[in-house]
Amino acid sequence: MKLTEYYGRRVLVDRPDWQAKQPPAPIQTLETITVGDRKIECRRCGQKTPKKIAALPNGEFYCPRCINLGRVATLNKFYHVPEPNQFVVKEPVLTWQGQLSPLQQEAAEEVATGMKKHQHQLLWAVTGAGKTEMMFRGIAAALRRGERLAVASPRVDVCLELYPRLQAAFANTTMVLLHGRQELPYRYAQLTICTTHQLLRFYHAFDNLIIDEVDAFPYAANAALLYATGQAVKEKGGCLYLTATPGPSLLRQVRQKELAVSYLPLRYHGHLLPEVRLRLTPRWRRTLDQKRLPANLVAELRRTLAAGHRFLFFVPHVRDLPGIAGALETVGFERRTFTTVHAADPERLAKVQGMRDGRYDFLVTTTIMERGVTFPEIDVFVLGADDPVFSSSALVQIAGRAGRARSRPDGRVIFWLGCPCRRVREAARQIRFMNQKGRALQR
Amino acid sequence: MNCLLCNAPLAYRLTIPDLVLLRPIQPPVLCQRCRKQFERIDSATACPGCGRPKNGRRLCPECQRWHQHYGWHLRHTALYTYNEAMRDFMRRYKFQGDYRLRQVFQGELSRQVQTLAADLVIPIPVTATTMATRGFNQVLGFLGTEEESGLLVHRAGEKVAQSHKTRRQRLHTPQPFELTNPVAVRGKRVLLVDDVYTTGRTLYHAASLIHAAGGDEIISLSLAR
Repeated sequence: MKLTEYYGRRVLVDRPDWQAKQPPAPIQTLETITVGDRKIECRRCGQKTPKKIAALPNGEFYCPRCINLGRVATLNKFYHVPEPNQFVVKEPVLTWQGQLSPLQQEAAEEVATGMKKHQHQLLWAVTGAGKTEMMFRGIAAALRRGERLAVASPRVDVCLELYPRLQAAFANTTMVLLHGRQELPYRYAQLTICTTHQLLRFYHAFDNLIIDEVDAFPYAANAALLYATGQAVKEKGGCLYLTATPGPSLLRQVRQKELAVSYLPLRYHGHLLPEVRLRLTPRWRRTLDQKRLPANLVAELRRTLAAGHRFLFFVPHVRDLPGIAGALETVGFERRTFTTVHAADPERLAKVQGMRDGRYDFLVTTTIMERGVTFPEIDVFVLGADDPVFSSSALVQIAGRAGRARSRPDGRVIFWLGCPCRRVREAARQIRFMNQKGRALQR
Repeated sequence: MNCLLCNAPLAYRLTIPDLVLLRPIQPPVLCQRCRKQFERIDSATACPGCGRPKNGRRLCPECQRWHQHYGWHLRHTALYTYNEAMRDFMRRYKFQGDYRLRQVFQGELSRQVQTLAADLVIPIPVTATTMATRGFNQVLGFLGTEEESGLLVHRAGEKVAQSHKTRRQRLHTPQPFELTNPVAVRGKRVLLVDDVYTTGRTLYHAASLIHAAGGDEIISLSLAR
């Protein structure tokens, strides 16, 4: 293994290897697990597990919590080399030619200043505000300072979309993309784009860490990932959270002034968010069970296609997908013009790419498509928006898929729901609230 | 408690016998869906030699070849087919090293061991290298014990695991084991236990040592075939 691969990381080493010989000079050997009285604590994911569950024979222990990233056991050690920031900065760092609107400019300045001071900060921008582009200035300045950076997201789709954009924007910077489904080996790079799970492999590596879509599952409710974030940044490193729908814990940190915040209530093209229209269909679940779709929904889909627009069609559950696909075929939508996609779909990435390339008129999907993915000029429909799988922040995100292109800033967003519901109301209220703020700025 | 394989929450309802009989309660460790993925082998129609499913109680060609080679053949019982679910289970249990998963088949396997009523149960050992990296012997885990019998051991210098070889390489593997105390198996009904029966090579190596040491009857058992 090359020495650079240990920089700012903790690499698992098996007992026969670390017992055989002392590692060469800069490599430090670190413990993997703290064994307490009744519990063990994993030093990688920070989770505690009762000894009884974590026990291996012969008084050894392992951490069952983060086992998917390779088992951490008392049989292992970590090899680690403190991050040396060994980068050659090649000008121009920023190869992005685009222009920011004055509002974006302002937010970008704030972000860059915060990153320079290695602050912990939140950028609260509506969906489609151009968050990625707003980070560019801050990232460029940090790269020029020779800092090591990471852009992480809980969603692999988000990472896959970010990577080519960042590659284009920082063409002279070494970059690596890491996520659980890829076979590509790790390599040392100044800018890392990864899923938040991959942060568990790093140790005091980054001078600035950017977490996109910080409120998304599974990051928000996962103690191991929060711990990973803390471990991955250097002790004096900065952290920038990006989101359109901050959850209660972030909002609390903002209120308690632990987190600096910048707002951006307008989209990059200066238009407001499309507001949600609601349609009541009290029996959508029963219609669906009979393998049919509400008539006004079918009519709406037809109208949309006739007008030459493409769309995303959200449904609550994976198990609803085959029934709906069948029902759509029955009423005359051709199978090759659309497809269904869900989280465990083996062809998920290919299908999303297919939609991006225009091979499909629409995707029928579950909440996995709620964020991060941008298809221009689309409309958004949700069947069963009152189902509990759709949290209010998920609904805001879903609604935010529409109207993202300058060429068509006002896509339509329609929710079909069985009965009025608090989450839907809350989502509609949040959108109106941001639009109110936005209108004040438009003037 | 959650399903050990898919992490879905598991509900366990106490039954009247649980309450009345004062016996230890054994809550399930797998959800119904995961449990159903595993396919039991019906021993009534399996090959009596290797436990290959649906062979109509006849000796399969592979076992006939073994018989030609040794002049005797194993009498093997396998509980499950080595299907996609079992492959994935083994990957997580053995190669990822999730020792908790031993509970999934522990009960079934130890019950089967009891039924087979052998004088001596010998689990197939793992190499010292495997023990130092994996930290456990997967067969002992299934049997619910941590203690090696120490009777059957790997010869020094044995390196490559069977699972890393092709079928051809497996069949040409030289004897990897030795018996530390051959007298102990003389005249005994011996049960060999392994996790997966693939080519039979491992079990035949172990069995031939016991055969040579004068074992009276040799039977074998594996979780999968």
